[in-house]
Amino acid sequence: MLVIALCKGRYLEPSLSMLSRANIRFPEDVASSRKLIFDSEDKRFRAVLVKPADVPTYVEYGAADVGVAGRDVIMESRADLLQPLDLNFGHCRIAVAGPEGAHSINGSDHPTVRVATKYPRITLDYYNTRGIPVEIIALSGSIELAPLIGLADRIVDLVETGRTLKENGLEIVEIIAESSARLLVNRAGYQTKREEVLGMIHALEKVVQCESSI
Amino acid sequence: MKAFTQIPPGTQILIGRAARRRRVLERVICSVFEGWSYEEIIPPIFDYYDVFIKGMGTGPEEQIYRFIDREGNILALRPEFTSLVAKTVATRLASAPRPIRLFYSGEVLRFEKPKGGRQREFAQIGIEHYGGIGKTSDVEVLLIAVEAFQRLGVPAFQINLGSVDFFGGIVDRMELPAGQIGELKDILNVKDQSGLEALLETLPLGDRRKEILRAIPHLTGGRAIIEEARQLVRNPRSVEALDHLEHIYSIFERFDLAQHLTIDLGEIRGFDYYTGILFRAYVRDLGFEVASGGRYDGLPSAFGEDLPAVGFSFSLDRLEQMVTPALSMPDPDAISIDADNGFEQALQHRRLGKAVKLCL
Repeated sequence: MLVIALCKGRYLEPSLSMLSRANIRFPEDVASSRKLIFDSEDKRFRAVLVKPADVPTYVEYGAADVGVAGRDVIMESRADLLQPLDLNFGHCRIAVAGPEGAHSINGSDHPTVRVATKYPRITLDYYNTRGIPVEIIALSGSIELAPLIGLADRIVDLVETGRTLKENGLEIVEIIAESSARLLVNRAGYQTKREEVLGMIHALEKVVQCESSI
Repeated sequence: MKAFTQIPPGTQILIGRAARRRRVLERVICSVFEGWSYEEIIPPIFDYYDVFIKGMGTGPEEQIYRFIDREGNILALRPEFTSLVAKTVATRLASAPRPIRLFYSGEVLRFEKPKGGRQREFAQIGIEHYGGIGKTSDVEVLLIAVEAFQRLGVPAFQINLGSVDFFGGIVDRMELPAGQIGELKDILNVKDQSGLEALLETLPLGDRRKEILRAIPHLTGGRAIIEEARQLVRNPRSVEALDHLEHIYSIFERFDLAQHLTIDLGEIRGFDYYTGILFRAYVRDLGFEVASGGRYDGLPSAFGEDLPAVGFSFSLDRLEQMVTPALSMPDPDAISIDADNGFEQALQHRRLGKAVKLCL
Protein backbone atom coordinates (compact mmCIF):
# COMPACT_ATOMS: atom_id res chain seq x y z
CA MET A 1 0.00 0.00 0.00
CA LEU A 2 1.29 3.46 -0.92
CA VAL A 3 0.75 6.29 1.55
CA ILE A 4 0.00 9.68 -0.02
CA ALA A 5 0.34 12.90 2.01
CA LEU A 6 -2.15 15.53 0.89
CA CYS A 7 -2.47 19.17 1.96
CA LYS A 8 -5.51 20.26 3.82
CA GLY A 9 -6.93 23.45 2.36
CA ARG A 10 -7.10 24.79 -1.16
CA TYR A 11 -4.90 22.08 -2.71
CA LEU A 12 -7.07 19.25 -1.43
CA GLU A 13 -9.90 19.39 -3.95
CA PRO A 14 -7.69 19.60 -7.08
CA SER A 15 -5.37 16.92 -5.68
CA LEU A 16 -8.24 14.50 -5.09
CA SER A 17 -9.76 15.16 -8.47
CA MET A 18 -6.45 14.59 -10.21
CA LEU A 19 -5.90 11.36 -8.29
CA SER A 20 -9.37 10.15 -9.15
CA ARG A 21 -8.71 10.74 -12.84
CA ALA A 22 -5.63 8.56 -12.38
CA ASN A 23 -7.95 5.88 -10.95
CA ILE A 24 -6.97 6.50 -7.36
CA ARG A 25 -10.34 7.06 -5.73
CA PHE A 26 -11.00 8.00 -2.14
CA PRO A 27 -14.40 8.13 -0.41
CA GLU A 28 -16.36 11.28 -1.14
CA ASP A 29 -16.28 12.67 2.35
CA VAL A 30 -12.49 13.21 2.49
CA ALA A 31 -12.84 16.98 2.18
CA SER A 32 -15.68 17.32 4.69
CA SER A 33 -14.78 14.65 7.25
CA ARG A 34 -12.64 15.28 10.31
CA LYS A 35 -10.80 12.01 9.86
CA LEU A 36 -7.16 12.29 8.83
CA ILE A 37 -6.62 8.88 7.23
CA PHE A 38 -8.55 7.45 4.28
CA ASP A 39 -8.07 4.29 2.26
CA SER A 40 -8.76 4.23 -1.46
CA GLU A 41 -11.63 2.10 -2.73
CA ASP A 42 -9.27 -0.62 -3.97
CA LYS A 43 -7.14 -0.44 -0.79
CA ARG A 44 -4.00 0.14 -2.83
CA PHE A 45 -3.52 3.67 -1.50
CA ARG A 46 -3.92 5.49 1.78
CA ALA A 47 -4.31 9.26 1.98
CA VAL A 48 -3.22 11.20 5.05
CA LEU A 49 -4.26 14.82 5.44
CA VAL A 50 -1.64 17.16 6.86
CA LYS A 51 -0.83 20.86 6.96
CA PRO A 52 0.69 22.04 3.65
CA ALA A 53 4.04 22.95 5.20
CA ASP A 54 4.30 19.46 6.73
CA VAL A 55 3.90 17.47 3.51
CA PRO A 56 7.64 17.51 2.62
CA THR A 57 8.49 16.32 6.13
CA TYR A 58 6.11 13.35 5.98
CA VAL A 59 7.57 12.35 2.63
CA GLU A 60 11.22 12.96 3.49
CA TYR A 61 10.94 10.70 6.53
CA GLY A 62 9.09 8.04 4.57
CA ALA A 63 6.00 8.24 6.81
CA ALA A 64 4.29 8.90 3.48
CA ASP A 65 5.75 7.43 0.29
CA VAL A 66 4.52 10.26 -1.91
CA GLY A 67 2.89 13.64 -1.40
CA VAL A 68 1.44 16.66 -3.13
CA ALA A 69 2.72 20.11 -2.16
CA GLY A 70 3.45 23.49 -3.69
CA ARG A 71 6.96 24.22 -4.88
CA ASP A 72 7.06 27.17 -2.45
CA VAL A 73 6.60 24.80 0.48
CA ILE A 74 9.21 22.38 -0.87
CA MET A 75 11.79 25.13 -1.38
CA GLU A 76 11.20 26.47 2.10
CA SER A 77 11.45 23.02 3.70
CA ARG A 78 14.79 22.11 2.06
CA ALA A 79 13.67 18.50 2.42
CA ASP A 80 15.72 15.93 0.52
CA LEU A 81 13.27 14.18 -1.79
CA LEU A 82 12.43 13.52 -5.42
CA GLN A 83 10.02 15.82 -7.24
CA PRO A 84 9.43 14.03 -10.51
CA LEU A 85 6.20 15.63 -11.64
CA ASP A 86 4.69 19.11 -12.00
CA LEU A 87 0.96 18.56 -11.46
CA ASN A 88 0.22 21.80 -13.25
CA PHE A 89 -2.30 23.32 -10.85
CA GLY A 90 -2.01 25.85 -8.07
CA HIS A 91 0.11 28.17 -10.19
CA CYS A 92 1.50 31.22 -8.44
CA ARG A 93 4.74 33.10 -7.91
CA ILE A 94 6.99 33.65 -4.94
CA ALA A 95 7.84 37.32 -5.19
CA VAL A 96 9.40 40.27 -3.43
CA ALA A 97 6.82 43.05 -3.15
CA GLY A 98 6.90 46.57 -1.80
CA PRO A 99 4.87 49.76 -1.76
CA GLU A 100 3.83 51.03 -5.22
CA GLY A 101 6.75 52.73 -6.89
CA ALA A 102 9.35 50.61 -5.11
CA HIS A 103 11.66 49.48 -7.85
CA SER A 104 14.27 47.51 -5.99
CA ILE A 105 14.44 44.72 -3.46
CA ASN A 106 16.50 47.12 -1.33
CA GLY A 107 14.64 49.10 1.33
CA SER A 108 14.96 52.80 1.87
CA ASP A 109 18.14 54.26 3.37
CA HIS A 110 18.52 51.52 5.93
CA PRO A 111 21.71 49.52 5.50
CA THR A 112 19.61 46.43 6.24
CA VAL A 113 16.35 45.61 4.47
CA ARG A 114 13.57 44.45 6.74
CA VAL A 115 11.52 41.79 5.00
CA ALA A 116 8.33 40.26 6.36
CA THR A 117 7.53 36.75 5.12
CA LYS A 118 6.16 33.28 5.68
CA TYR A 119 9.25 32.00 3.84
CA PRO A 120 12.28 32.92 5.97
CA ARG A 121 14.67 30.49 4.28
CA ILE A 122 13.77 31.39 0.71
CA THR A 123 14.02 35.06 1.62
CA LEU A 124 17.36 34.72 3.35
CA ASP A 125 18.83 32.74 0.44
CA TYR A 126 17.55 35.24 -2.09
CA TYR A 127 18.99 38.27 -0.32
CA ASN A 128 22.21 36.49 0.66
CA THR A 129 23.04 35.50 -2.91
CA ARG A 130 22.65 39.15 -3.87
CA GLY A 131 24.85 40.33 -1.04
CA ILE A 132 22.13 42.49 0.49
CA PRO A 133 21.96 42.54 4.30
CA VAL A 134 18.49 41.49 5.40
CA GLU A 135 16.51 41.23 8.60
CA ILE A 136 13.82 38.60 8.32
CA ILE A 137 10.56 39.22 10.12
CA ALA A 138 8.78 35.87 10.21
CA LEU A 139 4.98 36.16 10.14
CA SER A 140 2.35 33.50 9.63
CA GLY A 141 -0.35 35.50 7.84
CA SER A 142 -1.54 38.91 6.57
CA ILE A 143 1.96 39.58 5.29
CA GLU A 144 0.71 42.50 3.15
CA LEU A 145 0.05 44.46 6.28
CA ALA A 146 3.69 44.67 7.35
CA PRO A 147 4.92 47.38 4.94
CA LEU A 148 1.73 49.41 5.43
CA ILE A 149 2.28 50.02 9.09
CA GLY A 150 6.04 50.25 9.12
CA LEU A 151 6.91 46.74 10.31
CA ALA A 152 8.89 45.95 7.15
CA ASP A 153 10.28 47.53 3.98
CA ARG A 154 9.47 44.62 1.69
CA ILE A 155 7.57 41.35 1.83
CA VAL A 156 8.26 37.96 0.24
CA ASP A 157 5.01 36.18 -0.40
CA LEU A 158 3.01 33.97 -2.70
CA VAL A 159 1.27 35.96 -5.43
CA GLU A 160 -1.53 34.38 -7.40
CA THR A 161 -3.40 37.16 -9.23
CA GLY A 162 -1.79 40.15 -7.55
CA ARG A 163 -5.17 41.47 -6.41
CA THR A 164 -4.46 41.36 -2.69
CA LEU A 165 -1.22 43.25 -3.29
CA LYS A 166 -2.97 45.87 -5.40
CA GLU A 167 -5.76 46.40 -2.93
CA ASN A 168 -3.17 47.09 -0.27
CA GLY A 169 -1.15 49.48 -2.37
CA LEU A 170 1.68 47.03 -3.01
CA GLU A 171 3.29 45.70 -6.18
CA ILE A 172 5.72 43.02 -7.23
CA VAL A 173 9.35 44.14 -7.33
CA GLU A 174 11.03 40.89 -8.35
CA ILE A 175 9.92 37.32 -8.91
CA ILE A 176 11.94 34.76 -6.98
CA ALA A 177 10.40 31.60 -8.43
CA GLU A 178 7.36 30.17 -10.15
CA SER A 179 5.40 27.71 -8.05
CA SER A 180 2.81 25.03 -8.73
CA ALA A 181 1.73 21.74 -7.20
CA ARG A 182 4.37 19.00 -7.35
CA LEU A 183 4.35 15.29 -6.75
CA LEU A 184 6.97 14.40 -4.13
CA VAL A 185 8.49 10.97 -3.67
CA ASN A 186 10.56 9.59 -0.82
CA ARG A 187 13.97 8.51 -2.08
CA ALA A 188 13.93 5.13 -0.37
CA GLY A 189 10.34 4.40 -1.42
CA TYR A 190 11.25 5.18 -5.02
CA GLN A 191 13.69 2.26 -4.84
CA THR A 192 11.97 -0.21 -2.54
CA LYS A 193 8.39 0.25 -3.82
CA ARG A 194 9.44 0.91 -7.33
CA GLU A 195 6.59 -0.60 -9.33
CA GLU A 196 3.87 1.02 -7.26
CA VAL A 197 5.57 4.42 -7.28
CA LEU A 198 6.41 4.41 -10.99
CA GLY A 199 2.89 3.20 -11.80
CA MET A 200 1.44 6.13 -9.92
CA ILE A 201 3.80 8.66 -11.52
CA HIS A 202 2.94 7.41 -15.00
CA ALA A 203 -0.79 7.48 -14.32
CA LEU A 204 -0.62 11.05 -13.05
CA GLU A 205 1.68 12.07 -15.89
CA LYS A 206 -0.98 10.97 -18.36
CA VAL A 207 -3.64 12.99 -16.57
CA VAL A 208 -1.43 16.10 -16.59
CA GLN A 209 -0.59 15.71 -20.28
CA CYS A 210 -4.20 15.12 -21.13
CA GLU A 211 -5.26 18.28 -19.36
CA SER A 212 -2.59 20.54 -20.73
CA SER A 213 -3.46 19.47 -24.26
CA ILE A 214 -7.10 20.56 -23.86
CA MET B 1 23.04 23.85 35.84
CA LYS B 2 22.24 22.98 32.24
CA ALA B 3 25.41 20.96 31.63
CA PHE B 4 24.57 18.52 34.39
CA THR B 5 21.07 17.63 33.35
CA GLN B 6 20.69 18.27 29.63
CA ILE B 7 22.46 16.66 26.70
CA PRO B 8 23.77 18.76 23.78
CA PRO B 9 21.57 18.46 20.67
CA GLY B 10 22.82 15.79 18.30
CA THR B 11 24.14 13.35 20.87
CA GLN B 12 22.58 10.12 22.08
CA ILE B 13 23.19 7.44 24.65
CA LEU B 14 22.73 3.73 23.98
CA ILE B 15 21.85 1.58 26.94
CA GLY B 16 21.12 -2.11 27.41
CA ARG B 17 19.20 -3.60 24.55
CA ALA B 18 19.96 -0.65 22.24
CA ALA B 19 23.68 -1.02 22.90
CA ARG B 20 23.52 -4.79 22.39
CA ARG B 21 21.75 -4.26 19.09
CA ARG B 22 24.57 -1.95 17.97
CA ARG B 23 27.24 -4.48 18.92
CA VAL B 24 25.47 -7.39 17.26
CA LEU B 25 25.12 -5.41 14.04
CA GLU B 26 28.76 -4.44 14.24
CA ARG B 27 29.85 -8.04 14.84
CA VAL B 28 27.79 -9.46 11.98
CA ILE B 29 29.05 -6.86 9.52
CA CYS B 30 32.68 -7.10 10.71
CA SER B 31 32.60 -10.86 10.26
CA VAL B 32 31.48 -10.38 6.64
CA PHE B 33 34.32 -7.89 6.03
CA GLU B 34 36.84 -10.23 7.66
CA GLY B 35 35.45 -13.09 5.60
CA TRP B 36 36.55 -11.18 2.48
CA SER B 37 40.03 -10.58 3.95
CA TYR B 38 39.60 -6.97 4.99
CA GLU B 39 41.74 -5.89 7.93
CA GLU B 40 40.61 -3.49 10.56
CA ILE B 41 42.00 0.01 10.79
CA ILE B 42 41.33 2.17 13.84
CA PRO B 43 42.13 5.74 12.80
CA PRO B 44 42.26 8.71 15.18
CA ILE B 45 39.07 10.57 16.04
CA PHE B 46 40.66 13.89 15.05
CA ASP B 47 43.15 15.01 12.45
CA TYR B 48 44.11 18.20 10.63
CA TYR B 49 41.09 20.00 9.23
CA ASP B 50 42.62 20.12 5.74
CA VAL B 51 42.57 16.31 5.52
CA PHE B 52 38.80 16.30 5.61
CA ILE B 53 38.45 19.25 3.24
CA LYS B 54 40.38 17.19 0.68
CA GLY B 55 37.91 14.41 1.21
CA MET B 56 34.56 16.08 1.55
CA GLY B 57 35.23 18.99 -0.74
CA THR B 58 33.67 22.38 -0.33
CA GLY B 59 30.04 22.54 0.64
CA PRO B 60 29.77 20.05 3.47
CA GLU B 61 32.80 21.74 5.09
CA GLU B 62 30.54 23.80 7.32
CA GLN B 63 29.37 20.53 8.87
CA ILE B 64 32.83 19.80 10.24
CA TYR B 65 33.48 20.29 13.95
CA ARG B 66 36.82 22.07 14.06
CA PHE B 67 38.99 23.41 16.81
CA ILE B 68 42.41 24.92 17.32
CA ASP B 69 45.12 23.15 19.28
CA ARG B 70 47.63 24.88 21.54
CA GLU B 71 50.09 25.35 18.67
CA GLY B 72 47.50 27.07 16.52
CA ASN B 73 46.83 24.15 14.15
CA ILE B 74 43.28 23.78 12.90
CA LEU B 75 42.06 20.31 13.77
CA ALA B 76 38.75 18.61 13.17
CA LEU B 77 36.73 15.74 14.58
CA ARG B 78 36.35 13.18 11.83
CA PRO B 79 33.19 13.74 9.74
CA GLU B 80 33.86 10.53 7.75
CA PHE B 81 36.50 7.81 7.49
CA THR B 82 37.41 7.76 3.82
CA SER B 83 39.81 10.72 3.85
CA LEU B 84 41.55 9.44 6.98
CA VAL B 85 42.02 6.01 5.48
CA ALA B 86 43.18 7.46 2.15
CA LYS B 87 45.80 9.52 3.95
CA THR B 88 47.00 6.47 5.90
CA VAL B 89 47.21 4.36 2.76
CA ALA B 90 49.20 7.07 0.96
CA THR B 91 51.63 7.47 3.86
CA ARG B 92 52.03 4.62 6.35
CA LEU B 93 50.98 1.97 3.86
CA ALA B 94 52.67 3.48 0.78
CA SER B 95 54.87 0.41 0.31
CA ALA B 96 52.36 -2.23 1.43
CA PRO B 97 51.49 -4.89 -1.17
CA ARG B 98 48.43 -4.09 -3.29
CA PRO B 99 45.55 -4.37 -3.14
CA ILE B 100 45.01 -2.97 0.34
CA ARG B 101 41.73 -4.02 1.96
CA LEU B 102 40.68 -2.21 5.13
CA PHE B 103 37.54 -1.90 7.22
CA TYR B 104 36.64 0.52 10.00
CA SER B 105 33.89 0.96 12.54
CA GLY B 106 33.29 3.98 14.73
CA GLU B 107 31.69 7.33 15.34
CA VAL B 108 31.84 10.32 13.04
CA LEU B 109 30.60 13.83 13.74
CA ARG B 110 28.82 16.28 11.51
CA PHE B 111 27.02 19.45 12.41
CA GLU B 112 23.80 18.71 10.54
CA LYS B 113 20.15 18.39 11.35
CA PRO B 114 19.53 15.08 13.16
CA LYS B 115 17.38 13.10 10.77
CA GLY B 116 16.11 9.61 10.22
CA GLY B 117 17.49 8.31 13.49
CA ARG B 118 20.92 9.76 12.83
CA GLN B 119 22.29 12.29 15.30
CA ARG B 120 25.21 14.68 14.85
CA GLU B 121 27.41 11.95 16.26
CA PHE B 122 26.67 8.74 14.42
CA ALA B 123 28.24 5.36 13.76
CA GLN B 124 29.63 4.21 10.44
CA ILE B 125 31.04 0.84 9.50
CA GLY B 126 32.59 0.33 6.11
CA ILE B 127 35.35 -0.86 3.83
CA GLU B 128 38.01 0.68 1.63
CA HIS B 129 39.65 -1.17 -1.25
CA TYR B 130 42.85 0.41 -2.61
CA GLY B 131 45.00 -0.43 -5.58
CA GLY B 132 42.76 -3.08 -7.09
CA ILE B 133 41.62 -3.44 -10.67
CA GLY B 134 38.64 -1.14 -11.13
CA LYS B 135 36.22 -3.59 -12.67
CA THR B 136 36.83 -6.39 -10.24
CA SER B 137 37.06 -4.38 -7.05
CA ASP B 138 33.77 -2.57 -7.79
CA VAL B 139 32.04 -5.93 -8.02
CA GLU B 140 33.79 -7.23 -4.90
CA VAL B 141 32.63 -4.27 -2.85
CA LEU B 142 29.03 -4.55 -4.05
CA LEU B 143 28.90 -8.28 -3.35
CA ILE B 144 30.17 -7.62 0.17
CA ALA B 145 27.36 -5.13 0.75
CA VAL B 146 24.87 -7.73 -0.48
CA GLU B 147 26.27 -10.40 1.81
CA ALA B 148 26.05 -8.07 4.81
CA PHE B 149 22.35 -7.47 4.12
CA GLN B 150 21.78 -11.21 3.73
CA ARG B 151 23.58 -12.07 6.97
CA LEU B 152 21.53 -9.45 8.76
CA GLY B 153 18.44 -11.18 7.45
CA VAL B 154 17.14 -8.20 5.46
CA PRO B 155 14.88 -9.61 2.75
CA ALA B 156 13.97 -6.41 0.88
CA PHE B 157 17.08 -4.36 0.24
CA GLN B 158 17.73 -2.38 -2.89
CA ILE B 159 21.03 -1.07 -4.23
CA ASN B 160 20.73 1.95 -6.48
CA LEU B 161 23.80 2.07 -8.72
CA GLY B 162 24.90 4.99 -10.89
CA SER B 163 28.09 6.37 -12.36
CA VAL B 164 29.44 9.90 -12.40
CA ASP B 165 31.08 9.08 -15.74
CA PHE B 166 27.85 8.64 -17.66
CA PHE B 167 26.70 12.16 -16.83
CA GLY B 168 30.29 13.46 -16.86
CA GLY B 169 30.85 12.23 -20.41
CA ILE B 170 27.70 14.01 -21.55
CA VAL B 171 28.40 17.38 -19.99
CA ASP B 172 32.14 17.30 -20.81
CA ARG B 173 31.26 18.04 -24.40
CA MET B 174 28.71 20.73 -23.70
CA GLU B 175 31.24 23.20 -22.36
CA LEU B 176 28.85 24.71 -19.86
CA PRO B 177 30.03 27.03 -17.08
CA ALA B 178 30.44 25.32 -13.69
CA GLY B 179 27.47 27.19 -12.23
CA GLN B 180 25.10 25.78 -14.82
CA ILE B 181 26.45 22.26 -14.43
CA GLY B 182 25.78 22.59 -10.71
CA GLU B 183 22.24 23.76 -11.38
CA LEU B 184 21.72 20.90 -13.82
CA LYS B 185 22.96 18.38 -11.25
CA ASP B 186 20.66 19.78 -8.56
CA ILE B 187 17.67 19.42 -10.86
CA LEU B 188 18.58 15.90 -12.02
CA ASN B 189 19.18 14.84 -8.43
CA VAL B 190 15.54 15.46 -7.59
CA LYS B 191 14.27 14.29 -11.00
CA ASP B 192 12.50 17.63 -11.44
CA GLN B 193 11.23 17.48 -15.03
CA SER B 194 9.64 20.91 -15.16
CA GLY B 195 12.70 22.50 -13.58
CA LEU B 196 14.82 20.77 -16.22
CA GLU B 197 12.58 22.11 -19.00
CA ALA B 198 12.94 25.65 -17.65
CA LEU B 199 16.73 25.34 -17.41
CA LEU B 200 17.07 23.79 -20.88
CA GLU B 201 15.38 26.83 -22.37
CA THR B 202 18.22 28.99 -21.12
CA LEU B 203 21.05 26.67 -22.21
CA PRO B 204 22.78 27.15 -25.59
CA LEU B 205 22.44 23.50 -26.61
CA GLY B 206 21.21 21.73 -29.72
CA ASP B 207 18.00 19.69 -29.71
CA ARG B 208 19.78 16.38 -29.62
CA ARG B 209 21.77 17.31 -26.53
CA LYS B 210 18.67 18.57 -24.81
CA GLU B 211 16.95 15.26 -25.62
CA ILE B 212 19.78 13.41 -23.87
CA LEU B 213 19.50 15.54 -20.73
CA ARG B 214 15.70 15.12 -20.72
CA ALA B 215 16.11 11.36 -20.76
CA ILE B 216 18.46 11.16 -17.75
CA PRO B 217 15.84 11.27 -14.94
CA HIS B 218 14.05 8.33 -16.56
CA LEU B 219 17.12 6.17 -17.02
CA THR B 220 16.49 4.03 -14.00
CA GLY B 221 15.69 0.34 -13.98
CA GLY B 222 17.29 -2.91 -15.11
CA ARG B 223 19.21 -4.09 -18.15
CA ALA B 224 16.79 -2.42 -20.56
CA ILE B 225 17.83 0.98 -19.22
CA ILE B 226 21.44 0.36 -20.19
CA GLU B 227 20.33 -0.47 -23.72
CA GLU B 228 18.18 2.64 -23.83
CA ALA B 229 21.09 4.77 -22.66
CA ARG B 230 23.34 3.30 -25.35
CA GLN B 231 21.08 4.77 -28.00
CA LEU B 232 21.73 8.23 -26.55
CA VAL B 233 25.48 8.50 -26.15
CA ARG B 234 28.57 7.96 -28.28
CA ASN B 235 31.28 9.66 -26.22
CA PRO B 236 33.84 7.17 -24.88
CA ARG B 237 33.51 8.17 -21.21
CA SER B 238 29.76 7.56 -21.07
CA VAL B 239 29.99 4.41 -23.18
CA GLU B 240 32.66 2.95 -20.92
CA ALA B 241 30.50 3.73 -17.90
CA LEU B 242 27.62 1.83 -19.50
CA ASP B 243 29.86 -1.13 -20.35
CA HIS B 244 30.97 -1.26 -16.76
CA LEU B 245 27.46 -1.04 -15.32
CA GLU B 246 26.34 -3.76 -17.69
CA HIS B 247 29.23 -5.94 -16.55
CA ILE B 248 28.17 -5.48 -12.92
CA TYR B 249 24.53 -6.11 -13.77
CA SER B 250 25.43 -9.35 -15.57
CA ILE B 251 27.27 -10.61 -12.53
CA PHE B 252 24.28 -9.82 -10.32
CA GLU B 253 22.08 -11.70 -12.80
CA ARG B 254 24.43 -14.66 -12.80
CA PHE B 255 24.16 -14.98 -9.01
CA ASP B 256 20.44 -14.38 -9.01
CA LEU B 257 20.79 -11.02 -7.26
CA ALA B 258 19.54 -8.70 -10.00
CA GLN B 259 16.28 -8.08 -8.15
CA HIS B 260 18.34 -6.18 -5.56
CA LEU B 261 20.07 -3.93 -8.08
CA THR B 262 18.68 -0.89 -9.88
CA ILE B 263 20.71 1.05 -12.40
CA ASP B 264 20.05 4.76 -12.00
CA LEU B 265 21.94 6.98 -14.43
CA GLY B 266 20.43 10.05 -12.81
CA GLU B 267 22.14 9.16 -9.54
CA ILE B 268 24.98 11.70 -9.37
CA ARG B 269 24.69 12.93 -5.79
CA GLY B 270 27.48 12.72 -3.28
CA PHE B 271 30.85 14.04 -2.21
CA ASP B 272 33.02 15.66 -4.85
CA TYR B 273 35.53 12.84 -4.59
CA TYR B 274 33.53 10.21 -6.50
CA THR B 275 35.05 9.31 -9.87
CA GLY B 276 33.28 6.19 -11.12
CA ILE B 277 30.41 4.12 -9.81
CA LEU B 278 28.43 5.37 -6.87
CA PHE B 279 25.61 3.68 -5.02
CA ARG B 280 23.17 3.92 -2.16
CA ALA B 281 21.28 1.14 -0.46
CA TYR B 282 17.76 1.21 0.90
CA VAL B 283 15.64 -1.24 2.86
CA ARG B 284 11.87 -1.46 2.71
CA ASP B 285 9.98 0.74 5.16
CA LEU B 286 12.94 2.91 6.15
CA GLY B 287 12.71 6.38 4.61
CA PHE B 288 16.45 7.03 4.48
CA GLU B 289 19.38 5.29 2.81
CA VAL B 290 21.25 2.84 5.03
CA ALA B 291 24.49 2.59 3.06
CA SER B 292 26.36 4.57 0.44
CA GLY B 293 29.63 4.37 -1.39
CA GLY B 294 31.44 4.44 -4.68
CA ARG B 295 34.76 4.88 -6.44
CA TYR B 296 37.16 7.74 -5.67
CA ASP B 297 40.34 7.23 -7.64
CA GLY B 298 41.48 10.82 -7.21
CA LEU B 299 41.44 10.82 -3.44
CA PRO B 300 44.67 8.97 -2.54
CA SER B 301 46.61 11.11 -5.02
CA ALA B 302 45.53 14.16 -3.04
CA PHE B 303 47.71 12.66 -0.30
CA GLY B 304 50.59 11.82 -2.63
CA GLU B 305 49.89 8.28 -3.80
CA ASP B 306 48.12 7.61 -7.06
CA LEU B 307 45.87 4.61 -6.41
CA PRO B 308 42.45 3.48 -7.52
CA ALA B 309 40.03 3.31 -4.60
CA VAL B 310 36.51 2.11 -3.93
CA GLY B 311 34.48 1.61 -0.76
CA PHE B 312 31.24 2.12 1.09
CA SER B 313 29.84 2.46 4.56
CA PHE B 314 26.73 1.43 6.45
CA SER B 315 24.97 3.81 8.79
CA LEU B 316 24.56 1.76 11.97
CA ASP B 317 22.07 4.18 13.52
CA ARG B 318 19.75 3.57 10.60
CA LEU B 319 20.28 -0.18 10.33
CA GLU B 320 19.38 -0.41 14.01
CA GLN B 321 15.84 0.63 13.15
CA MET B 322 15.28 -2.47 11.03
CA VAL B 323 13.26 -5.32 12.37
CA THR B 324 14.89 -8.59 11.47
CA PRO B 325 15.27 -11.89 13.35
CA ALA B 326 19.03 -11.34 13.55
CA LEU B 327 18.36 -8.13 15.44
CA SER B 328 15.69 -9.26 17.86
CA MET B 329 17.50 -8.92 21.14
CA PRO B 330 16.21 -11.25 23.84
CA ASP B 331 17.33 -10.33 27.35
CA PRO B 332 20.26 -12.54 28.32
CA ASP B 333 19.37 -15.68 30.32
CA ALA B 334 21.19 -15.51 33.64
CA ILE B 335 21.02 -17.89 36.61
CA SER B 336 19.89 -15.99 39.71
CA ILE B 337 22.03 -16.71 42.75
CA ASP B 338 21.55 -15.52 46.29
CA ALA B 339 24.47 -13.19 46.97
CA ASP B 340 24.93 -14.24 50.57
CA ASN B 341 27.57 -16.96 50.40
CA GLY B 342 26.66 -17.47 46.75
CA PHE B 343 30.04 -16.62 45.28
CA GLU B 344 31.20 -20.20 45.18
CA GLN B 345 28.15 -21.19 43.19
CA ALA B 346 28.55 -18.17 40.94
CA LEU B 347 32.17 -18.95 40.18
CA GLN B 348 31.26 -22.54 39.39
CA HIS B 349 28.68 -21.42 36.83
CA ARG B 350 31.07 -18.89 35.40
CA ARG B 351 33.72 -21.57 34.89
CA LEU B 352 31.17 -23.40 32.77
CA GLY B 353 30.59 -20.22 30.84
CA LYS B 354 27.08 -19.60 32.14
CA ALA B 355 25.66 -16.16 32.88
CA VAL B 356 24.88 -15.43 36.52
CA LYS B 357 23.10 -12.66 38.33
CA LEU B 358 23.72 -12.08 42.01
CA CYS B 359 20.56 -11.19 43.94
CA LEU B 360 21.09 -8.83 46.84
